[in-house]
Amino acid sequence: MLAASSSTIAFPVLTSLVAVPLVGAALVIFFGRIRQEWTKLTALLTSVTTGAISLWVLQAFDSSDAGFQFVSQHEWITAWGISWHLGIDGISLFLVVLTGVLFPLVIAGVDPHHDERPYLAWLLVLEAGVMGSFISLDLFLFFVFFEIVLVPMYFLIGGWGYDQRVYAATKFFLFTMTGSAFLLVGIVATALLSRESVGSVTFDVVALAENGALNVTQGRWLFVAFAIAFAVKVPLFPVHTWLPDAHTQAPTAGSVILAGVLLKMGTYGLLRFGVYLFPEASVWARPALYTLAVIGIIYGAIAATMQTDLKRLVAYSSVAHLGFIVLGTFALTDQAVTGGVMQMVNHGVSTSALFLLVGMIYERRHTRQIAELRGLQQVAPVFAGFFMIVMLSSIGLPGLNGFVGEFLILIGSFDTARWWVIVATTGVILAALYLLWAYQRVFHGEVDDANRGFADLRLREGALLLVFVAIIGFTGVYPKPMLSRIEPSVNALIEHVESRTDYQRPAQGEAGK
Amino acid sequence: MDLTGDFIAPSTDWYALAPYIVLLAGALALLLVGSLTPRWPRGWYAMLTALTAGTAGVVASLQFAALADEAPRSLMKGVLAHDRFGLLAVIAICVAVIITSMMASDAAGLDGAQTDSLEPFSLLLVAALGAAIMVTAHDLVVSFLGIEILSISLYVLAASDRRRAASHEAGLKYFVLGGFSSAFLLYGIALVYGTTGQTNLGGIAVVLADEVTLPRNDAMLLAGVALLLVGFAFKVSLVPFHSWTPDVYHGAPTYVTGFMASLGKVAAIVALVRLFVIAFPARADDWRPAVFILAVLTLVVGSVLAIVQTDVKRMLAYSSISHAGFMLVGLEAAGHIGSSSASSGTSSTLIYVVLYAVLALGSFAAVSVVSQAASVVGPTNATSLDAFKGVAKTNPVFALGFTVLLLAQAGVPLTSGFVAKFGVIRAAVSTESYVLAVLAMVSAVIAAYLYLRIMVSMWLSESSSARIPLRPVARLAMFVTVAITLVLGVLPTFVLRLSDTLATLVR
Amino acid sequence: MTDLVWLVPFLPLVGGLTLMVFGARIGEPRTGWLATLMSASSFVLTVLVYFDLLGMPAEERSHVVSLFSWIPVGSLQIDFALLADPLSITMALFVTGIGSLIHLYSIGYMHGDPKFSKFFLYLNLFVFSMLALVLGENLVVTFLGWEGVGACSYFLISFWHTRESAAVAGKKAFVTNRIGDWGVMTAMFVAFSVVGSVSYKAINEAAQEGTISRSAVSAIAILLFVGACGKSAQLPLYFWLPDAMEGPTPVSALIHAATMVTAGVFLMTRVGPVLAESYGWVPDTVAVVGAATALFAATIAVAQHDIKRVLAYSTVSQLGFMFLAVGSGAYVAAMFHMVTHSFFKALLFLGSGSVIHGLHHEQDMRKMGALRAAMPVTALTFIIGWLAIAGVPPFAGFWSKDEILLYVYADNRLLYAIGMVTALLTAYYMTRQVILVFFGEARWHDASGEHGAHGDFRPHESPKVMLVPLVVLSVLSVVGGGMQLPFSKDLHFLGHWLEPVVEEAERSIKGTWADENKYVLLGVAVVVALAGIALSVAVYAKRRLPAVEPTVLENAWFYDATVARLVGGPGAASFRGVTTFDARVVDGAVNGAGAVARGLGGVVRRSQTGFVRAYAVFIALGAVVLLAWFVWRGWLA
Repeated sequence: MLAASSSTIAFPVLTSLVAVPLVGAALVIFFGRIRQEWTKLTALLTSVTTGAISLWVLQAFDSSDAGFQFVSQHEWITAWGISWHLGIDGISLFLVVLTGVLFPLVIAGVDPHHDERPYLAWLLVLEAGVMGSFISLDLFLFFVFFEIVLVPMYFLIGGWGYDQRVYAATKFFLFTMTGSAFLLVGIVATALLSRESVGSVTFDVVALAENGALNVTQGRWLFVAFAIAFAVKVPLFPVHTWLPDAHTQAPTAGSVILAGVLLKMGTYGLLRFGVYLFPEASVWARPALYTLAVIGIIYGAIAATMQTDLKRLVAYSSVAHLGFIVLGTFALTDQAVTGGVMQMVNHGVSTSALFLLVGMIYERRHTRQIAELRGLQQVAPVFAGFFMIVMLSSIGLPGLNGFVGEFLILIGSFDTARWWVIVATTGVILAALYLLWAYQRVFHGEVDDANRGFADLRLREGALLLVFVAIIGFTGVYPKPMLSRIEPSVNALIEHVESRTDYQRPAQGEAGK
Repeated sequence: MDLTGDFIAPSTDWYALAPYIVLLAGALALLLVGSLTPRWPRGWYAMLTALTAGTAGVVASLQFAALADEAPRSLMKGVLAHDRFGLLAVIAICVAVIITSMMASDAAGLDGAQTDSLEPFSLLLVAALGAAIMVTAHDLVVSFLGIEILSISLYVLAASDRRRAASHEAGLKYFVLGGFSSAFLLYGIALVYGTTGQTNLGGIAVVLADEVTLPRNDAMLLAGVALLLVGFAFKVSLVPFHSWTPDVYHGAPTYVTGFMASLGKVAAIVALVRLFVIAFPARADDWRPAVFILAVLTLVVGSVLAIVQTDVKRMLAYSSISHAGFMLVGLEAAGHIGSSSASSGTSSTLIYVVLYAVLALGSFAAVSVVSQAASVVGPTNATSLDAFKGVAKTNPVFALGFTVLLLAQAGVPLTSGFVAKFGVIRAAVSTESYVLAVLAMVSAVIAAYLYLRIMVSMWLSESSSARIPLRPVARLAMFVTVAITLVLGVLPTFVLRLSDTLATLVR
Repeated sequence: MTDLVWLVPFLPLVGGLTLMVFGARIGEPRTGWLATLMSASSFVLTVLVYFDLLGMPAEERSHVVSLFSWIPVGSLQIDFALLADPLSITMALFVTGIGSLIHLYSIGYMHGDPKFSKFFLYLNLFVFSMLALVLGENLVVTFLGWEGVGACSYFLISFWHTRESAAVAGKKAFVTNRIGDWGVMTAMFVAFSVVGSVSYKAINEAAQEGTISRSAVSAIAILLFVGACGKSAQLPLYFWLPDAMEGPTPVSALIHAATMVTAGVFLMTRVGPVLAESYGWVPDTVAVVGAATALFAATIAVAQHDIKRVLAYSTVSQLGFMFLAVGSGAYVAAMFHMVTHSFFKALLFLGSGSVIHGLHHEQDMRKMGALRAAMPVTALTFIIGWLAIAGVPPFAGFWSKDEILLYVYADNRLLYAIGMVTALLTAYYMTRQVILVFFGEARWHDASGEHGAHGDFRPHESPKVMLVPLVVLSVLSVVGGGMQLPFSKDLHFLGHWLEPVVEEAERSIKGTWADENKYVLLGVAVVVALAGIALSVAVYAKRRLPAVEPTVLENAWFYDATVARLVGGPGAASFRGVTTFDARVVDGAVNGAGAVARGLGGVVRRSQTGFVRAYAVFIALGAVVLLAWFVWRGWLA
């Protein structure tokens, strides 16, 4: 099974993914004190190094191997059966790469308005936390990262955000922590209840999933505990309201990271821990999660349509997009889950780019109010062009990355969640509605005096966005390299579910016969 | 003629008693020598106090280490327990004294009106002695003795700031209510003795365990237990016996508050656990529900009240209450006598209170530093939230340290606070009291809001005051506590490896 | 040669991308020529492929070129594959052909526009997408093109983006099309679910061999038809097309007359077997919707004043005809009409564009008239287009329309009657247009001064680059009918050519009354057409009869307005409701929880009076409760 194949190698690659940014943060503080001008450079170098390592992992990744790779396991808190256990499989691979790529871009592309040193340090700590939560194979370790991420994010929003920042930061912190309250109890209970079947108290995900034998009731309760925590993070309706505030008030970098990778910790958690640890429960809970997901899709889109603040609009669009991902995750077919994992990355890329663009608008106009913007395409055609491409990818135009994931999710979910899919697909209409309407109001029309001075894209901004557009285009036209790396692990996961429940994958093409 | 023959003096294990003796000697020496000699240069009293506590602590640690391969035993005809459970508490107490004495001299030092006087320091040592007796007392009477020694010195300490009326008021309040609660305690002891004919914890347990010797009047016994619980609940400040805490914590000099929150909590909770786990295991089914209710009340009320405060000292007072709730969660787990993991309840409670003691010391040290600076500038309330505004701008490192302590209290991972919470929750879950576990975690979230508020005013508000002068002692105190918080947070194994041995108490 | 079919869409794509990057540097007019070259060369390639296929035996004329594996996951294996067969090549031929002509025309029409090169970038991208749509081997590749043309039409409709109306129209078109796309996507899901594949071949075969349930087949068919309604502007989703006239006229000609809007018809033909195998009500629905749309749009066209809007509604009407054909199982006829229509409708649009160009962007027919003198070539070509669409023999439109009506008669007399009425109206309003624009007295003198026209305002003929396409198209409109003549089976060139694709679905009318008496029907058609023309002449030229142009028709039966009111009223209201709900209720609950906690604290806080006596009371009370509990337990024991 998933645990079976796992190649250990000399250099602790994954550990370095966490360690390098941390060291970087320390160095930033240190250099910042003696040499102001080194600060940015140090941060950039460390994040680039991390990114390089993640890319190395990508190319060294063995796509034929469904199990965890680059596994590194060391004793940590043996008294409690907790170990420093890291590993990557097809499900986490691209999230790690995304994290590795996104941070250097953000650090290079967006400057804080004040206190550069702590800002960069927090960003690097954040990177370490996010990386950690994507690669840890120990429940306790995962919780540690999952929880520690709150602190840098709290300070980034609270310290460098906009007028409502304190409210937003606090809301974000408490909201997520409430979820974590259930998660922690759930984690401990999982470990202790599988004591007998596993042989000892351990928090090792693989051991728990492969050997743990929880009875139905336990499994379902624990799944619920996990699901609450992750639902907040995703966020699913109705626990999504921290997101618009956090997104809107966060500094551009904060929004980018938040949308790009932080939200994915929720969907990733649902898949990696929810489904993997509690197959029976996740099959049992599917109708509920489908419903919440679809509500999120429609509800988020509708709310997005009526927003007057560009950032809030994008934030609500995230609610809708992540609804798709959750739908796919629990549809439990190769296409749907693979699409879900891919969509995590796609949404990360597209929405990050959108937030960057909105941030640039704010830098120029010091407003995010749609009503105050007008006719920008006239004065900034290149800017408008980039916005258009990113927007179309978010709408899910075929040939761009957004389509592939969304399409796979929907077509894969159709057999297991027919009616939900039929409703969810209308979200595609709404996506066009809210984005095009916003585009029309912001970019079309005769430019007024307030916006006449709007400068077109600068070189650095263009270069930054070009990276995103390149990814958007490439993964849209040729997603195969990505899919072929994701699929084996997804397949293994679904087999894991099938072997432990009466659920069986639908065989497409059979239904009609 | 020779009478000595009939008199058999109790064979005394002087070495085992060393910590108590050292503390006592130190206190007396300080009083005598200090009052006979002219005023010493600033800091020397503190140094001597710290030295004494240090010595006691070192000895206690050695004994603690020695107990790894020795069976725990009782001293003085079984009135004092000599086990790791108690000794770890003693060590914590000594640490508390050391750090408090540092802050005490710091407080005295920064205050222009007077240089430091010696009384507080000797009182610290006396209090430590009382606490040490409490945590190891294996006999109700001795336990009461310890409680009174501790309490009386705390009354005085609370009132020791001559210039602030609030301080006097606090001392008086504490004294009156303390006396009130002691009455309950004493009556409880009487009832228990009346029904079991025993004051020795082990003895009581034996009586209650045996069908034959089982007391006729069960209600009376349990009434005794109830009154004992009231008495201790007051000391641990559990809701609804907590109401003195905010006022006293607020009124007392900040270093004393830290001392009460750390040493006081350790002594009370450890004594409580020892009493119930050793003496009344047979009655666990009766007291566990009561503890459950007290825990819930304390958790919720503590955290809910904490978030509406505007004064940092009061906030931390209430947070100390909700922490007490967490400790009770551990005690509740320990109450599942049948269950194999009851012992994890006992040990996790001890670890929680010890780790919390460090946090409390550090946090109140920070408050004390800020409030002194503020009181020099001279606003009416030197410990209000406003006093912390923009501290991060003027003293970033200090602010970071305090933030670590606050996050630790909130239970953020990689801090000792998380380790403590995790242990307790683990115990609760392993005894399948999930409800309590979830309630505890949720109330922790509510309490987190208060720590966030302090962080907000430190980091996210505009700086009003000038840079806060930090004297070396304060720096050291902060550094030590923060270091412990982080090291034990990242590598808790050192503490956790003890947990099994901690739970083996003297019966 | 056929293996190189991938170059056909690829060349315009290259052109588009080149313009995207270097467009600004290359500049006018070279960008235009580059784009035209790209489009033209892919036309040449298509012709070569055409002859290549022609050389093969009929049953082998289906060639799949798989470029790369696009979306392979588990049992879902989607290749980026192109299918070269008679149907797709027919489409490709006139898409690239007319596309190239319109590229050429645009060089003249868009002359001096600041976004000249942008225009050609979009045009090239459009041609690429359209080719992907028609050449797609499976539904997903087609969908790629399907969405691509949608996006390009959005860009081009709102090309003059500073105009509010243009921006709105573009958005309207895209969103309305998306409603249709919902159908296409869902159809794909059903297909994959029951067939296990999304390739046309697999789906059609499954439908014929009956390996999948009839209801599934019907579901696929009707869902695809929903998509077709969006793209091809059928009721109830037609209303975006008239507004699409906000775009530059060449765009209207290429996208909103000749090519994109016919995609729906193409799709239904492509899945003809599925439609044929589904329950009877499915094709009937298609036919009825088609007929209804045809009539509905025709009535509206009667009362329009904007030269382009007349053509727009006429397009909707003609598309209705095509769906009527598809619904009656006359796929060849549908394709036939699609091709001829693309000839004469493109011609008419370009002609109107030439007029608009000549009149400095005047579009109101009430300010035209007597232009045949001023712009003879335009007038002549336009008149040819008019005769073609009016159904006057021997022009192209006559034959194709007649073929459709022939099948419809065999299928359903009522629909035939509707078709006839529509034909009458078509002849009527087209004649009206010709008269208003090119005959009568000149009403454009008073138009001088407007549109920055200087002093002595004279309409002028358009440059050669614009006239050449007109001429070419008018020739095609004359001879276009030749590709499928009713007189004998041997003259059914198009029919034979398309046979391998459509034969399974094609309804045979052999032996029906309609078949035997097709010349009678021909005659009737001629009479009707002439009647319509005569009537119109009587009204607008001779002024014998009053013009019937009621406002209800001028405002398109208030359909658009009603939709707008619904969307703007209840629709927006419900959206606002949801948003308020989110802010007040959902988020309110969150903040409420916080408030409750704080409130609770405030209440309990009052107990903190600071009075020792109060505290003592608490302690006492607590003690009492605890005592009560323990003592009670004691009694139990």
